[in-house]
Amino acid sequence: MGAPIAPVTVRPDVRLETAPMSPVSCDTCGAAVEARKSSWEQTSIQWHAADVERCLERRAAMPPRIEGTLFAGCVSLRQALAKAVERGDLPVLADD
Amino acid sequence: MTTAPDIPRQIEADPIAQRYARGWHCLGLSQDFRDGQPHQVLAFGTKLVVWEDSDGELRVLDAFCRHMGGDLSQGTVKDGNIACPFHDWRWGGDGRCKQIPYSRRVPLRARTSAWPTLDQDGMLFVWNDPQGNPPIAEQAIPKIPGASSDEWTDWHWYSIKIDGSNCREIVDNVVDMAHFFYVHYSMPTYFKNIFEGHVATQVMNGTDRGDVAVPSDDGSTLLAVKSTASYFGPSFMIDDLVYEYDTGNFESILINCHYPVDTDSFVLQYGIIVKKPQGVSDEYASASAATMGDFIKTGFEQDVAIWQNKARIDNPLLCEEDGPVYQLRRWYQQFYTDVDAVLPEMTERFEFELDMTRPAEAWSQEVAENIARAAENESV
Ligand code: FES
Ligand SMILES: [Fe+2]
Repeated sequence: MGAPIAPVTVRPDVRLETAPMSPVSCDTCGAAVEARKSSWEQTSIQWHAADVERCLERRAAMPPRIEGTLFAGCVSLRQALAKAVERGDLPVLADD
Repeated sequence: MTTAPDIPRQIEADPIAQRYARGWHCLGLSQDFRDGQPHQVLAFGTKLVVWEDSDGELRVLDAFCRHMGGDLSQGTVKDGNIACPFHDWRWGGDGRCKQIPYSRRVPLRARTSAWPTLDQDGMLFVWNDPQGNPPIAEQAIPKIPGASSDEWTDWHWYSIKIDGSNCREIVDNVVDMAHFFYVHYSMPTYFKNIFEGHVATQVMNGTDRGDVAVPSDDGSTLLAVKSTASYFGPSFMIDDLVYEYDTGNFESILINCHYPVDTDSFVLQYGIIVKKPQGVSDEYASASAATMGDFIKTGFEQDVAIWQNKARIDNPLLCEEDGPVYQLRRWYQQFYTDVDAVLPEMTERFEFELDMTRPAEAWSQEVAENIARAAENESV
């Protein structure tokens, strides 16, 4: 019934061509993610399945008001990202 | 400044797949299908018939009769089955032909497509899957707090057909921070997207934009707007939307959903319920929901004009301040991909955050303190 499927391809974000994501690990649970900061205020985080499972805060998260709504984010990882910026491991693009 | 070669950038647009997203799609308020008549719904590039059977269940079949192609949506409901206007074959909600009034026997293969349905919180949903598999249990539409409670109003519901546009355009709104300013008249102070599994979420906290008045019953002042909106699957968004006034909170649930008519048109529907404030009449609460709904309608109408005139663009040229358009589309693509061909990156968790409430200086200071504290701990 479905029309023949075109080969599944996904277009990468054009902004990653010049400034890719950087690896960062959480000090608390060890989850390894890829992160990117456009500015102090703006952060992207790419998780992978196994690391999502590691996150302790996610496991402890309260059930949300609407069931199925997602875990908002890990505070420990946020701290790890801030430290990575301080160490110079995670560039803040707006500072260039 | 770097100089780029002086060639205009080309817009790229892959051919639109002649395929419709896998998942639950809301067709509208259930009550609108409960009048004993067959209802025609143009969706997924075909025609459907919706009616209420004798058990009070809403049923959805392909509208074209498998006998000689009659249009069942022009037929009648007889004994809970749908009777074709052409030769009166009777089709049950399970997709089987139950009776042919002029024949003693129903042919063996007299079976048509029955669409899985969900009748929940006053809304009717159908499950679309080009592979023909049953609904995926994990992708069930969550129950909505308030939707079946006396403390909340009934739905104020809006439906509009959008021609000349593919439904992907409305999904793009999830990542579009700027549209909050232009469409929702609010000034985001915090914005976050989370994509994970079949859910795409947008969290937005903001304040009044200042120049456009958000409706308030009295002279009360709007302090903050807090919105958590998630697409559960490709087409159904629940927005938990709270307006915080100095006089108290205005709590609402906003639905934003659509179903494709074909690849170049869709029906956009949205609805709102509000929590009845203490000490006001039901009529008053209902009127405030309607006011809110009409306010949101203005915003959508502005979007519609954009969608109908814009180009489909698969290679948007983004600046750093733009939201994660590519990552959202990557998430959305899972619904157009056979289940066993879905790539991990389509469903893996992705976060995008814009936090205007933590200025760089405050953050730097916090980090410096943390580092100092860590150093202290190490030296102990
Ligand atoms: S086409 Fe429907 S009964 Fe003949
Ligand atoms: Fe919106």
